[in-house]
Amino acid sequence: MNTKGIKLWEENAVPKHRIQWCPGCGDFGVLAALKQALTELEVMPHELLLVGGIGCSGQIRNYLNGNAFHGTHGGALAYGLGAKMANPDLKVICLAGDGDTFAIGVENFVHVCRRDPDMVLLVMNNGVYGLTKGQDSPTAGLGQPDERGSREEHPPMVDALLLALASEATFVAQSFSGDVKHTARMIVEAIQHPGFAFINDFSPCVTYNRFNTYDWFRERVEHVPEDHDPSDRDAAWRLVREFARRGKIPLGVVYRNPRPKRPQRRLPLWEDELSGVDLEPVLATYR
Amino acid sequence: MRVNHVKLLVGGVQLRDGVTTVTDILGKIFTRAGLFAVAMEKGYASTIYGAHQFDPMLVTEEPPVSYGDPEVDVLVALDYDSNPDAPEQPNRDTVLRHGGKLRDGGVLVYDSSTGEIPTGALEARGIQVFPIPARRIAQSELKREIVKNVVMTGALFRLLQFDSDEAYLRQLLEERFLRKGREVVDLNLQAARRGRQEVERVLEANGYQLPVRLEPRPGRHRAVYISGNECLGLGAIAGGVRFYAGYPITPASSILEFMEQWLPKYGGRALQGQNERESIRAALGAALAGVRSMVGSSGPGISLKVEEFGVSGATETPVIVVDAQRAGPSTGMPTRPEQGDLNLVIGGGHGDFPRIVLAPGTVEECYTLMLEACELSDKYQCPVFFLTDLNLSEGKKTVLEDVFRRPQVVRHGIVREEDVRAKPYRRFEVTPSGISPRSVPGTPGAIFKASGAEHDEFGFVSIDPRKRAAMVEKRMRKLDTYLQEDWKPPQVFGSVRGNPVVVGWGNTRPVLEEARLFLQRRGVPVALVHFTHVFPLHRRKLEALFADAGPVVVVEQNFSGQFADLLQRELRIATRRVNKYNGVPLYPTEVAEAVLQALQREGAVVRIGGDSQPVPVEVGRNEHEGD
Ligand code: SF4
Repeated sequence: MNTKGIKLWEENAVPKHRIQWCPGCGDFGVLAALKQALTELEVMPHELLLVGGIGCSGQIRNYLNGNAFHGTHGGALAYGLGAKMANPDLKVICLAGDGDTFAIGVENFVHVCRRDPDMVLLVMNNGVYGLTKGQDSPTAGLGQPDERGSREEHPPMVDALLLALASEATFVAQSFSGDVKHTARMIVEAIQHPGFAFINDFSPCVTYNRFNTYDWFRERVEHVPEDHDPSDRDAAWRLVREFARRGKIPLGVVYRNPRPKRPQRRLPLWEDELSGVDLEPVLATYR
Repeated sequence: MRVNHVKLLVGGVQLRDGVTTVTDILGKIFTRAGLFAVAMEKGYASTIYGAHQFDPMLVTEEPPVSYGDPEVDVLVALDYDSNPDAPEQPNRDTVLRHGGKLRDGGVLVYDSSTGEIPTGALEARGIQVFPIPARRIAQSELKREIVKNVVMTGALFRLLQFDSDEAYLRQLLEERFLRKGREVVDLNLQAARRGRQEVERVLEANGYQLPVRLEPRPGRHRAVYISGNECLGLGAIAGGVRFYAGYPITPASSILEFMEQWLPKYGGRALQGQNERESIRAALGAALAGVRSMVGSSGPGISLKVEEFGVSGATETPVIVVDAQRAGPSTGMPTRPEQGDLNLVIGGGHGDFPRIVLAPGTVEECYTLMLEACELSDKYQCPVFFLTDLNLSEGKKTVLEDVFRRPQVVRHGIVREEDVRAKPYRRFEVTPSGISPRSVPGTPGAIFKASGAEHDEFGFVSIDPRKRAAMVEKRMRKLDTYLQEDWKPPQVFGSVRGNPVVVGWGNTRPVLEEARLFLQRRGVPVALVHFTHVFPLHRRKLEALFADAGPVVVVEQNFSGQFADLLQRELRIATRRVNKYNGVPLYPTEVAEAVLQALQREGAVVRIGGDSQPVPVEVGRNEHEGD
């Protein structure tokens, strides 16, 4: 691995020893994978905008180099959308948790999938609200379907991949932060995808989710078979359902089908681009 | 006969009768003719089809102070299907609802296609009545129902003795319809002519002498006929806004439509959010990327955006928030004006953060004050609220084009690559002004970490008590800087010293100015103090202003007196209040009378149109949206 490149990502960041995640938290794997992927793609930190969600996972924005923003719970994707619309040259990566994305922010998730801005969302999915001490999130109940659904208080889990597919996402992938190398691979492919790229990363919460542990995941993860055609949405849907029936968890690109895009330019923002514009065409219509 | 001073009211069934299509044509033509048209009292409903709609318009030779009192000289009723057996049908609404506003000796013209309306009571007041079978003429003679409004327009022009050579109407029709074929223009002109003829017929039969006349004054000036929302959109474009986001809501939707039409032509983008929150969040994202950004909404949408005000304040990401106020709370009355959101925008959100509230007093100021909003949001990196109301936003008037000066846009405090080489960059540097340097992502060497969580000067999260205190103080200090460098004192009309003082803010200024003139003419010298920079207030300067003032009467369109409360809190002066909250715009004479009442005793609260007898419940009857 390119250690000099990796070092670059530690500048303008909270020093390693001050990272405030529980030892063993899955988000450490995501952080390592993110640095690897950015190093591999030779992204420069100043070109990067990391938009963090609210929760343990959103802290990641400050744990590596790059511009960062952090606003309201559930808002990451919409801030990212605006920034990307304003400046298509920015690399925008939204980093949020499952509560942030699928509960309070689900409106943004669904519609940003449809809008398809050229940015990445990596969800660190652990089924709980870690920062507030372990309440159920909408993805709670992975591997325990029988326990849920009989009461309004405990609805069945949101299947992130199916929700993304139903919402017209153009890139849907899944990773497991226990496998840093594969997670890094997914991030690279997501960044390269010319549209909205969603990675559902299983990132175990060692403190509040004692059921979906590293070992639990290791027993169940399986790479997407080589003969899967990721450009076929029906095949993607079937694959997710079929893995679920077998009690398995697919890792890899489940769906990838870029849409044709109209090129966009950075919006004017400097004085010489804005001053003294000619209002005549507008005024003429009101005379 | 009165020349070049006439108040019209055009009414009809919403969507079907094309009320505003007619008044928009009138406004445009009168403006081209060098006259001043003011149509600021929009009366419409939030249901789409079938409700009563009306649009009053004052036309004058010189710019009028305000749109004047409700009385009209000419009433134009486009609704046609009169049915004497069903008095509440929308058809006769225009006459039923507004007949009382006609001045003695005024003119009523209505569509008599399905029969004549009993108008004896009006005629007894010397009102001249012109039944014109416009729809029947359009349907059976001209074979196109759609031209019925042109028949009425022709009739109205004859009544106003205006455009007798058809030059103005012909030009407008050619602009609109020539691409559809000469026949279309001719058909419309024919329709207008038929309207004229019908008026001639009634004139001859009754020997009427018309009471008013409009004479063109062409070539005096360059002017446009334009709404407040359009002016503020234009101001935003001139002021450098290149990203706009909005979610459909009355009466702010027309800003979104304007921006969707024009922003792309200036290199910008307009986004219809999937909800109110996506709109403001996307705008904050665009602002973060360095682009001047704006959102627009009305009360319910502003309430939904509140959480992001704090994000803007804490992350020091500028955004302009237009609130085209309508009557609240909750859904309230979506098509009725109010000044009820002041507390929301000065207090909405948890914690303390800097914000600036501006409120234009006129359509013209929708442009000029918006230029200020653009600079202020950029300079102070905080939310800047821009409060209009339904009438100011949707109302249209003749605006002289000298208003639309094109400013030099100044970007404030943005560091470039060379700057950060000279001095290390701290995004949230504690400075005496409270304003910190800012960078646009993509600038080498100027990485920032912005967060709504409390942070240190670099933007890293911190709950260190000293850093926290310094950061809160730094942010709030921006308001002191604003008050010193950019706050504009209220406009003062007349002399405050020893005189009663009427205070207002935002969109009510023209009416308050006119009310002051009425009082003056009646021998009551009052001053008017009118605010456009509404929050924060410069305590010291205002204390000096009010030091030797007589009683202070704050006039506003809400129940509680939200600005009066603010003034009382900031200046520790007693206020008397005049409030109106029934959904009808303020009118000069009623304001003047209410002010006189308020002057009679300390602590007076005068409620215009309020404190009334209980209104009996009328089950099953359509709510009257009008009036
Ligand atoms: S609570 Fe869970 S998610 Fe949060 S840091 Fe600890 S292990 Fe990670």
